[in-house]
Amino acid sequence: MCGRCLALSRRSLLLGGGAAAASLATGVANARILPKDMVPLVGPGFKPTDKDEQGIWQLMDRAEEEIAGSNLLITDPALTGYLKDIIGRVGGPAAQDFRIYLAHIPDFNAMMFPSGFAVVFSGLLLRMRNEAQLAGVIAHESGHFLRRHMIRSWRDQRRKTDIFAIASMAAGVGGAAGGVYLGDYVQLAELGTLLSLFVYSREMEAEADAMGAKLIAEAGYEPIEMATIWQQLIGEETASARYRRKRRRRGSLFDSHPSSDSRLADLKLDAAEVRAAGRAYDVGRERYLSRIASIRPTLLDDQVKLNDPGASQYLIETLAQDGWNGLLRFYEGEVWRLRNRHGDDVRAGQSYAAAVAYPDAPADAWRWHGITLMKAGRAGEAKSAFARYLTMKPDAADAAWVRQTIG
Amino acid sequence: MMRRVALAAGMALALPACSTIGAGEYGYSSYALVQVRRVAVGDGSLIVSPPRPYNRHRAFLWSDVRDVEDWTLNGPYLDGISFVSGLKSGAYLIRQSKRADQQVPKFRDDMTPPEIAAMLESLYRVKGGAVEFRTLGLQPRTFLGTGGFQLDYEHLDSDELWRKGRAVGAVINGKLYLILMDAARSHYYATVLPDFEAIAASAELRR
Repeated sequence: MCGRCLALSRRSLLLGGGAAAASLATGVANARILPKDMVPLVGPGFKPTDKDEQGIWQLMDRAEEEIAGSNLLITDPALTGYLKDIIGRVGGPAAQDFRIYLAHIPDFNAMMFPSGFAVVFSGLLLRMRNEAQLAGVIAHESGHFLRRHMIRSWRDQRRKTDIFAIASMAAGVGGAAGGVYLGDYVQLAELGTLLSLFVYSREMEAEADAMGAKLIAEAGYEPIEMATIWQQLIGEETASARYRRKRRRRGSLFDSHPSSDSRLADLKLDAAEVRAAGRAYDVGRERYLSRIASIRPTLLDDQVKLNDPGASQYLIETLAQDGWNGLLRFYEGEVWRLRNRHGDDVRAGQSYAAAVAYPDAPADAWRWHGITLMKAGRAGEAKSAFARYLTMKPDAADAAWVRQTIG
Repeated sequence: MMRRVALAAGMALALPACSTIGAGEYGYSSYALVQVRRVAVGDGSLIVSPPRPYNRHRAFLWSDVRDVEDWTLNGPYLDGISFVSGLKSGAYLIRQSKRADQQVPKFRDDMTPPEIAAMLESLYRVKGGAVEFRTLGLQPRTFLGTGGFQLDYEHLDSDELWRKGRAVGAVINGKLYLILMDAARSHYYATVLPDFEAIAASAELRR
């Protein structure tokens, strides 16, 4: 129906730019790009001097203004400050020049714009297990800026694309007709259209990987986490596809790289090369969990309610590798309940029962535990579960229904 | 190019630039007038009386669920009223690919109101592009002369607009009957709410 929409949807920073990137690629696998060769091509306070790049920056300033004013942004200063701290540590020479925004979109994505501002999707925070992983993604994006990938890609392509087209898109003339999605969830003004003009070749992705590994290691983060992110992403996509009985669907995006396996191998080599003998590297797991604690229930809620059971279950089990708790058990139950196949009600009930045994069980776990008990005819136990729910959440939106139900 | 969900036409509206059938193209209107009189909706088993003329979204043969019908006053981006006229256990509110990664859960006749509310929430998240969804209230309410429920909610969609909705429903003989309104939170919700209440109060099952 709309091949273009599919090709550009759910673009992922790790996967590169899809069809357009493939058309840029030479078709020949290049020699591996070494982290030690990744020298930043911009210094602190960089400003463009060439006319074409100055024009792009002007357009990007307007795009940034729109993004900064969007109500899809999460503006909690504790979270945005955290992202700013991290890019300040892994942003290389431009660390103090970058701006970073957090968008409330339940998808794995982050992107760097040509003028040095980044947008991170909230779905990324759900998927990262520690600070080193988050720093790895941000460093990868910083790498695109530090290696001047956007202007390089623009100059590679400009014979194909008229500068006036981009200007009119920025002015909102061609945006709607473009019909290009930034992700499944958002089209922030015409940014999808703008971004689609700055696609990265596989060589650029490899550069950003190598640069990212170097940047996080210099900041003291465990560099192997760059490879772990990649593994987690492949695992999630495979699990999601298997659940719907089909092959991993992002084949075309993966095709823009020699293969996902060789990329993983490269990332592991990068990690080994950037390690300095005798230096200790940190993953920052405790710090990460405490900094995102306030938003984690929302992140889980956003994901699980999309009813993509393969991906959600994979994510929950991945996060639970660091320990099960009431929150994760509750959302495990939600995955089954929403999937709603034969026997899933029993599975969900078991998860809710397990969840409420933990001290951190959310109030909603008690409500769903109560509903499960009620449907199983265990009225007395249901009543006490509901009572516990109302005690924890006296002003619950469904309090009137619960009170009527327990009579 | 936002995601806007009207129950029956959710997919068509979600990707208008990609759709082969755009509203108004080829001299064909997607809407038909609903007169101020008793009218059967959905598969015909639910009868309502609108207090003023409405626009009924025509069914697309390839995307519709027979038991679902959508109306609008000012266009689907601003307001809409949807009818579910007896959805059977195991059926879905919308037509969707079994292989889609993200799916609206199926209805089951043993669902409690919180489960039906969760099904609607997933509809907005999966098909409507809602990035935030807040349940404002879930309470018992008589509907079609039987014990049903009323759900109030609001959601922020990817077009950066807050919308607000109310659904009134009941499960009768194992089938879901529901009337739902969803409108831009500022202005349109308050404008359409009295119509919605009049329509919900007028609803009756065809004997």
